[in-house]
Amino acid sequence: MTTKPIAKGDQVTPLDLQLTPTRVIATSIASRDFMPAHHDPGFAKSQGAPDIFLNILSSNGYVSRFITDWAGPEAMVRKIAIRLGVPAVPGQILRFTGEVVATRHEGDEGVVEVAIRAANDLGDHATGTVELSLPVGAVAV
Amino acid sequence: MSEGVSDPVRESLEPWIGKSISAAGLSRAPDPVNLPMIRHWVDAFEDANPIYLDADAAARTRHGTLVAPPAMLQTWTFPRPKIDGIAERGGAPDEIPDDHPLKILDRAGFVGTLATNSELTFERYLRPGDHLVSDVVLESVSALKKTSLGQGYFVTWVSTYEDEQGEEVGRQMFRIFKFDPSTIDPAMLGGAG
Repeated sequence: MTTKPIAKGDQVTPLDLQLTPTRVIATSIASRDFMPAHHDPGFAKSQGAPDIFLNILSSNGYVSRFITDWAGPEAMVRKIAIRLGVPAVPGQILRFTGEVVATRHEGDEGVVEVAIRAANDLGDHATGTVELSLPVGAVAV
Repeated sequence: MSEGVSDPVRESLEPWIGKSISAAGLSRAPDPVNLPMIRHWVDAFEDANPIYLDADAAARTRHGTLVAPPAMLQTWTFPRPKIDGIAERGGAPDEIPDDHPLKILDRAGFVGTLATNSELTFERYLRPGDHLVSDVVLESVSALKKTSLGQGYFVTWVSTYEDEQGEEVGRQMFRIFKFDPSTIDPAMLGGAG
Protein backbone atom coordinates (compact mmCIF):
# COMPACT_ATOMS: atom_id res chain seq x y z
CA MET A 1 0.00 0.00 0.00
CA THR A 2 1.26 3.42 -0.98
CA THR A 3 1.89 6.24 1.53
CA LYS A 4 2.89 9.34 -0.45
CA PRO A 5 0.32 11.08 -2.66
CA ILE A 6 -0.44 9.27 -5.91
CA ALA A 7 0.82 11.09 -8.98
CA LYS A 8 0.81 10.67 -12.72
CA GLY A 9 3.41 8.11 -13.80
CA ASP A 10 3.17 6.02 -10.59
CA GLN A 11 3.21 2.27 -11.10
CA VAL A 12 0.59 0.12 -9.43
CA THR A 13 2.15 -2.68 -7.36
CA PRO A 14 2.00 -5.67 -9.75
CA LEU A 15 -0.11 -8.70 -8.86
CA ASP A 16 1.10 -12.08 -10.08
CA LEU A 17 -1.82 -14.44 -9.79
CA GLN A 18 -1.01 -18.12 -10.25
CA LEU A 19 -4.27 -19.16 -11.85
CA THR A 20 -5.40 -22.63 -10.76
CA PRO A 21 -8.61 -24.55 -11.51
CA THR A 22 -9.55 -23.89 -7.88
CA ARG A 23 -9.28 -20.11 -8.31
CA VAL A 24 -11.19 -20.13 -11.63
CA ILE A 25 -14.00 -22.24 -10.16
CA ALA A 26 -14.12 -20.60 -6.71
CA THR A 27 -14.42 -17.12 -8.20
CA SER A 28 -16.98 -18.15 -10.85
CA ILE A 29 -19.25 -19.69 -8.24
CA ALA A 30 -18.72 -16.83 -5.76
CA SER A 31 -19.89 -14.50 -8.53
CA ARG A 32 -22.86 -16.86 -9.13
CA ASP A 33 -21.86 -17.55 -12.73
CA PHE A 34 -22.71 -21.21 -13.41
CA MET A 35 -21.81 -21.31 -17.11
CA PRO A 36 -20.00 -24.65 -17.58
CA ALA A 37 -17.12 -23.06 -19.53
CA HIS A 38 -15.89 -21.78 -16.14
CA HIS A 39 -15.91 -25.11 -14.26
CA ASP A 40 -16.16 -28.04 -16.73
CA PRO A 41 -12.99 -28.66 -18.83
CA GLY A 42 -14.79 -31.04 -21.24
CA PHE A 43 -17.44 -28.43 -21.94
CA ALA A 44 -14.89 -25.61 -22.33
CA LYS A 45 -12.89 -27.68 -24.85
CA SER A 46 -16.05 -28.54 -26.80
CA GLN A 47 -16.48 -24.77 -27.26
CA GLY A 48 -12.98 -24.37 -28.67
CA ALA A 49 -11.31 -23.06 -25.49
CA PRO A 50 -8.03 -24.67 -24.34
CA ASP A 51 -9.41 -25.25 -20.81
CA ILE A 52 -11.86 -23.73 -18.34
CA PHE A 53 -11.28 -19.99 -18.11
CA LEU A 54 -11.90 -17.08 -15.77
CA ASN A 55 -15.33 -15.46 -16.12
CA ILE A 56 -15.53 -11.75 -16.82
CA LEU A 57 -16.99 -10.91 -13.42
CA SER A 58 -13.87 -12.43 -11.91
CA SER A 59 -11.56 -10.53 -14.26
CA ASN A 60 -13.26 -7.39 -12.92
CA GLY A 61 -13.10 -8.71 -9.35
CA TYR A 62 -9.34 -9.29 -9.56
CA VAL A 63 -8.82 -5.89 -11.21
CA SER A 64 -10.66 -4.30 -8.29
CA ARG A 65 -8.51 -6.25 -5.79
CA PHE A 66 -5.30 -5.35 -7.68
CA ILE A 67 -6.21 -1.65 -7.51
CA THR A 68 -7.24 -1.53 -3.86
CA ASP A 69 -4.29 -3.71 -2.71
CA TRP A 70 -2.24 -0.73 -3.92
CA ALA A 71 -4.52 2.25 -3.27
CA GLY A 72 -5.78 1.14 0.15
CA PRO A 73 -9.14 0.97 1.92
CA GLU A 74 -10.05 4.65 1.35
CA ALA A 75 -10.22 4.00 -2.40
CA MET A 76 -13.56 3.99 -4.18
CA VAL A 77 -13.47 2.33 -7.57
CA ARG A 78 -15.66 4.39 -9.90
CA LYS A 79 -15.13 2.66 -13.21
CA ILE A 80 -13.54 -0.48 -14.68
CA ALA A 81 -13.45 -0.41 -18.49
CA ILE A 82 -11.71 -3.35 -20.13
CA ARG A 83 -11.18 -4.75 -23.57
CA LEU A 84 -11.09 -8.55 -23.45
CA GLY A 85 -8.44 -10.62 -25.21
CA VAL A 86 -7.10 -14.12 -24.62
CA PRO A 87 -8.76 -16.38 -22.07
CA ALA A 88 -7.27 -16.55 -18.55
CA VAL A 89 -6.67 -20.29 -18.16
CA PRO A 90 -5.30 -22.34 -15.24
CA GLY A 91 -1.64 -23.32 -15.15
CA GLN A 92 -0.44 -19.85 -16.06
CA ILE A 93 0.35 -16.70 -14.15
CA LEU A 94 -2.05 -13.85 -14.79
CA ARG A 95 0.04 -10.72 -14.23
CA PHE A 96 -1.68 -7.44 -13.42
CA THR A 97 0.22 -4.22 -14.04
CA GLY A 98 -0.87 -0.59 -14.14
CA GLU A 99 0.29 2.99 -14.42
CA VAL A 100 -1.36 6.23 -13.33
CA VAL A 101 -2.11 8.17 -16.50
CA ALA A 102 -4.06 11.13 -15.07
CA THR A 103 -5.06 12.71 -11.76
CA ARG A 104 -7.45 15.52 -10.88
CA HIS A 105 -9.17 17.05 -7.87
CA GLU A 106 -12.97 17.13 -7.63
CA GLY A 107 -14.08 18.95 -4.47
CA ASP A 108 -12.80 16.89 -1.52
CA GLU A 109 -11.91 13.94 -3.72
CA GLY A 110 -8.82 13.11 -5.69
CA VAL A 111 -9.54 11.17 -8.85
CA VAL A 112 -6.99 8.80 -10.34
CA GLU A 113 -7.08 7.20 -13.75
CA VAL A 114 -5.00 4.04 -14.16
CA ALA A 115 -4.17 2.21 -17.40
CA ILE A 116 -4.20 -1.49 -16.54
CA ARG A 117 -3.20 -4.73 -18.20
CA ALA A 118 -3.70 -8.35 -17.18
CA ALA A 119 -1.59 -10.71 -19.31
CA ASN A 120 -0.57 -14.37 -19.39
CA ASP A 121 1.60 -16.54 -21.69
CA LEU A 122 -1.05 -16.33 -24.43
CA GLY A 123 -1.09 -12.52 -24.50
CA ASP A 124 -3.28 -9.77 -23.10
CA HIS A 125 -6.31 -11.05 -21.23
CA ALA A 126 -7.66 -7.61 -20.36
CA THR A 127 -6.49 -4.07 -21.03
CA GLY A 128 -8.21 -0.85 -20.15
CA THR A 129 -8.68 1.83 -17.55
CA VAL A 130 -9.78 2.04 -13.95
CA GLU A 131 -10.97 5.27 -12.37
CA LEU A 132 -10.87 5.54 -8.60
CA SER A 133 -11.24 8.28 -6.04
CA LEU A 134 -9.39 8.90 -2.78
CA PRO A 135 -9.44 11.68 -0.18
CA VAL A 136 -8.07 14.77 -1.91
CA GLY A 137 -4.80 14.81 0.08
CA ALA A 138 -3.89 11.36 -1.20
CA VAL A 139 -3.71 12.50 -4.83
CA ALA A 140 -1.18 14.92 -6.31
CA VAL A 141 -2.13 16.89 -9.40
CA MET B 1 -21.35 -6.73 -47.17
CA SER B 2 -21.45 -3.20 -48.54
CA GLU B 3 -23.55 -0.32 -47.22
CA GLY B 4 -27.12 -0.18 -48.42
CA VAL B 5 -27.40 -3.89 -49.25
CA SER B 6 -30.27 -5.33 -47.27
CA ASP B 7 -29.37 -7.64 -44.39
CA PRO B 8 -32.43 -9.56 -43.21
CA VAL B 9 -30.66 -10.86 -40.09
CA ARG B 10 -29.74 -7.40 -38.90
CA GLU B 11 -33.19 -6.08 -39.87
CA SER B 12 -34.83 -8.70 -37.67
CA LEU B 13 -32.85 -7.32 -34.71
CA GLU B 14 -33.68 -3.69 -35.44
CA PRO B 15 -36.96 -3.65 -33.45
CA TRP B 16 -35.04 -4.65 -30.30
CA ILE B 17 -32.61 -1.74 -30.32
CA GLY B 18 -33.31 0.56 -27.39
CA LYS B 19 -35.61 -2.05 -25.82
CA SER B 20 -35.26 -4.28 -22.80
CA ILE B 21 -33.81 -7.71 -23.59
CA SER B 22 -33.91 -8.92 -20.01
CA ALA B 23 -35.25 -12.47 -20.38
CA ALA B 24 -37.63 -12.25 -17.43
CA GLY B 25 -38.39 -8.54 -17.53
CA LEU B 26 -36.93 -6.49 -14.68
CA SER B 27 -34.71 -8.76 -12.64
CA ARG B 28 -35.04 -8.34 -8.89
CA ALA B 29 -32.08 -9.69 -6.94
CA PRO B 30 -33.00 -12.99 -5.22
CA ASP B 31 -31.45 -11.61 -2.01
CA PRO B 32 -30.47 -8.20 -0.70
CA VAL B 33 -26.77 -7.38 -0.51
CA ASN B 34 -25.62 -9.55 2.37
CA LEU B 35 -22.55 -10.43 4.41
CA PRO B 36 -22.45 -14.22 3.73
CA MET B 37 -22.23 -13.69 -0.05
CA ILE B 38 -19.67 -10.93 0.43
CA ARG B 39 -17.58 -13.25 2.63
CA HIS B 40 -17.81 -16.01 0.00
CA TRP B 41 -16.55 -13.54 -2.66
CA VAL B 42 -13.79 -12.09 -0.47
CA ASP B 43 -12.51 -15.59 0.35
CA ALA B 44 -12.58 -16.71 -3.30
CA PHE B 45 -10.69 -13.60 -4.46
CA GLU B 46 -8.42 -13.49 -1.37
CA ASP B 47 -9.20 -9.77 -1.23
CA ALA B 48 -7.59 -8.28 1.89
CA ASN B 49 -9.39 -4.92 1.70
CA PRO B 50 -10.84 -4.65 5.24
CA ILE B 51 -13.88 -2.52 4.25
CA TYR B 52 -15.82 -5.62 3.17
CA LEU B 53 -15.74 -7.70 6.37
CA ASP B 54 -14.12 -5.71 9.21
CA ALA B 55 -16.77 -3.30 10.54
CA ASP B 56 -14.32 -1.39 12.80
CA ALA B 57 -11.81 -0.89 10.00
CA ALA B 58 -14.59 0.16 7.60
CA ALA B 59 -15.84 2.70 10.16
CA ARG B 60 -12.40 4.34 10.23
CA THR B 61 -12.53 4.97 6.47
CA ARG B 62 -14.74 7.38 4.55
CA HIS B 63 -16.96 4.39 3.66
CA GLY B 64 -18.14 4.61 7.28
CA THR B 65 -19.64 1.13 7.30
CA LEU B 66 -19.23 -2.29 5.68
CA VAL B 67 -19.65 -2.20 1.91
CA ALA B 68 -19.78 -4.81 -0.84
CA PRO B 69 -16.95 -5.32 -3.35
CA PRO B 70 -17.99 -3.11 -6.28
CA ALA B 71 -17.35 -5.82 -8.90
CA MET B 72 -20.12 -7.91 -7.28
CA LEU B 73 -22.72 -5.65 -8.93
CA GLN B 74 -23.94 -8.22 -11.46
CA THR B 75 -23.67 -11.05 -8.94
CA TRP B 76 -26.55 -9.65 -6.89
CA THR B 77 -29.12 -9.77 -9.68
CA PHE B 78 -28.18 -12.98 -11.50
CA PRO B 79 -31.28 -15.17 -11.67
CA ARG B 80 -31.12 -18.40 -9.67
CA PRO B 81 -29.45 -20.96 -11.96
CA LYS B 82 -31.12 -24.00 -13.50
CA ILE B 83 -28.38 -26.58 -12.95
CA ASP B 84 -29.91 -29.80 -14.31
CA GLY B 85 -28.42 -30.26 -17.80
CA ILE B 86 -27.46 -26.52 -17.98
CA ALA B 87 -30.01 -25.97 -20.79
CA GLU B 88 -29.17 -29.35 -22.33
CA ARG B 89 -25.45 -28.54 -22.43
CA GLY B 90 -25.91 -25.42 -24.53
CA GLY B 91 -24.37 -23.74 -21.52
CA ALA B 92 -27.01 -21.15 -20.58
CA PRO B 93 -27.91 -21.56 -16.89
CA ASP B 94 -31.14 -19.57 -17.34
CA GLU B 95 -33.95 -19.69 -19.87
CA ILE B 96 -33.73 -17.41 -22.91
CA PRO B 97 -36.95 -16.90 -24.91
CA ASP B 98 -36.95 -17.89 -28.61
CA ASP B 99 -37.49 -14.34 -29.88
CA HIS B 100 -34.49 -12.97 -27.93
CA PRO B 101 -31.90 -11.22 -30.18
CA LEU B 102 -29.17 -13.71 -29.26
CA LYS B 103 -31.47 -16.61 -30.20
CA ILE B 104 -32.26 -14.92 -33.52
CA LEU B 105 -28.51 -14.75 -34.23
CA ASP B 106 -28.01 -18.38 -33.16
CA ARG B 107 -30.72 -19.53 -35.57
CA ALA B 108 -29.10 -17.56 -38.40
CA GLY B 109 -25.84 -19.48 -37.83
CA PHE B 110 -24.05 -16.87 -35.70
CA VAL B 111 -23.62 -19.32 -32.84
CA GLY B 112 -20.13 -18.24 -31.76
CA THR B 113 -19.81 -15.75 -28.92
CA LEU B 114 -16.75 -13.74 -27.98
CA ALA B 115 -16.92 -11.08 -25.28
CA THR B 116 -14.97 -8.02 -26.39
CA ASN B 117 -15.66 -5.14 -23.97
CA SER B 118 -16.96 -4.53 -20.47
CA GLU B 119 -17.39 -1.14 -18.89
CA LEU B 120 -18.57 -1.04 -15.29
CA THR B 121 -19.52 2.25 -13.68
CA PHE B 122 -20.28 2.55 -9.97
CA GLU B 123 -22.33 5.48 -8.63
CA ARG B 124 -21.87 4.36 -5.04
CA TYR B 125 -20.70 1.36 -3.04
CA LEU B 126 -23.47 -0.99 -1.95
CA ARG B 127 -24.17 -1.80 1.68
CA PRO B 128 -25.73 -4.90 3.24
CA GLY B 129 -29.51 -4.44 2.95
CA ASP B 130 -29.52 -2.77 -0.47
CA HIS B 131 -31.92 -4.70 -2.68
CA LEU B 132 -31.26 -4.27 -6.39
CA VAL B 133 -33.35 -4.40 -9.52
CA SER B 134 -31.68 -4.60 -12.93
CA ASP B 135 -32.73 -4.11 -16.50
CA VAL B 136 -30.86 -4.79 -19.75
CA VAL B 137 -31.34 -2.69 -22.88
CA LEU B 138 -29.99 -3.58 -26.32
CA GLU B 139 -27.93 -0.53 -27.26
CA SER B 140 -26.67 -1.36 -30.73
CA VAL B 141 -26.01 -4.04 -33.34
CA SER B 142 -23.24 -3.37 -35.85
CA ALA B 143 -23.42 -4.03 -39.56
CA LEU B 144 -22.09 -7.46 -40.58
CA LYS B 145 -18.31 -7.42 -40.03
CA LYS B 146 -15.53 -9.63 -41.31
CA THR B 147 -12.88 -10.42 -38.68
CA SER B 148 -10.28 -13.08 -37.91
CA LEU B 149 -13.11 -15.02 -36.25
CA GLY B 150 -15.24 -14.97 -39.35
CA GLN B 151 -18.31 -12.90 -40.09
CA GLY B 152 -20.57 -11.60 -37.41
CA TYR B 153 -22.15 -8.74 -35.52
CA PHE B 154 -20.95 -6.69 -32.58
CA VAL B 155 -23.86 -6.62 -30.14
CA THR B 156 -23.82 -4.09 -27.29
CA TRP B 157 -26.15 -3.97 -24.33
CA VAL B 158 -26.31 -1.87 -21.16
CA SER B 159 -27.41 -3.25 -17.81
CA THR B 160 -28.57 -0.76 -15.21
CA TYR B 161 -28.89 -1.42 -11.49
CA GLU B 162 -31.21 0.49 -9.17
CA ASP B 163 -31.75 0.42 -5.43
CA GLU B 164 -35.15 0.28 -3.74
CA GLN B 165 -35.48 4.08 -4.00
CA GLY B 166 -35.13 3.81 -7.78
CA GLU B 167 -31.69 5.46 -7.71
CA GLU B 168 -29.17 4.09 -10.16
CA VAL B 169 -26.23 2.58 -8.26
CA GLY B 170 -24.26 1.34 -11.25
CA ARG B 171 -24.30 0.14 -14.83
CA GLN B 172 -22.43 -2.13 -17.20
CA MET B 173 -21.90 -1.75 -20.92
CA PHE B 174 -21.12 -5.12 -22.43
CA ARG B 175 -20.17 -5.94 -26.02
CA ILE B 176 -19.91 -9.33 -27.65
CA PHE B 177 -19.08 -10.51 -31.16
CA LYS B 178 -21.64 -13.04 -32.39
CA PHE B 179 -20.01 -14.89 -35.28
CA ASP B 180 -20.60 -17.72 -37.72
CA PRO B 181 -17.80 -20.24 -37.03
CA SER B 182 -18.15 -21.72 -40.54
CA THR B 183 -16.84 -18.43 -41.98
CA ILE B 184 -13.57 -18.43 -39.99
CA ASP B 185 -10.52 -17.95 -42.19
CA PRO B 186 -7.75 -20.00 -40.47
CA ALA B 187 -5.09 -17.79 -42.04
CA MET B 188 -6.42 -14.83 -40.02
CA LEU B 189 -6.84 -16.61 -36.67
CA GLY B 190 -5.17 -14.97 -33.71
CA GLY B 191 -5.15 -16.01 -30.07
CA ALA B 192 -8.43 -14.39 -29.03
CA GLY B 193 -11.03 -16.60 -27.42
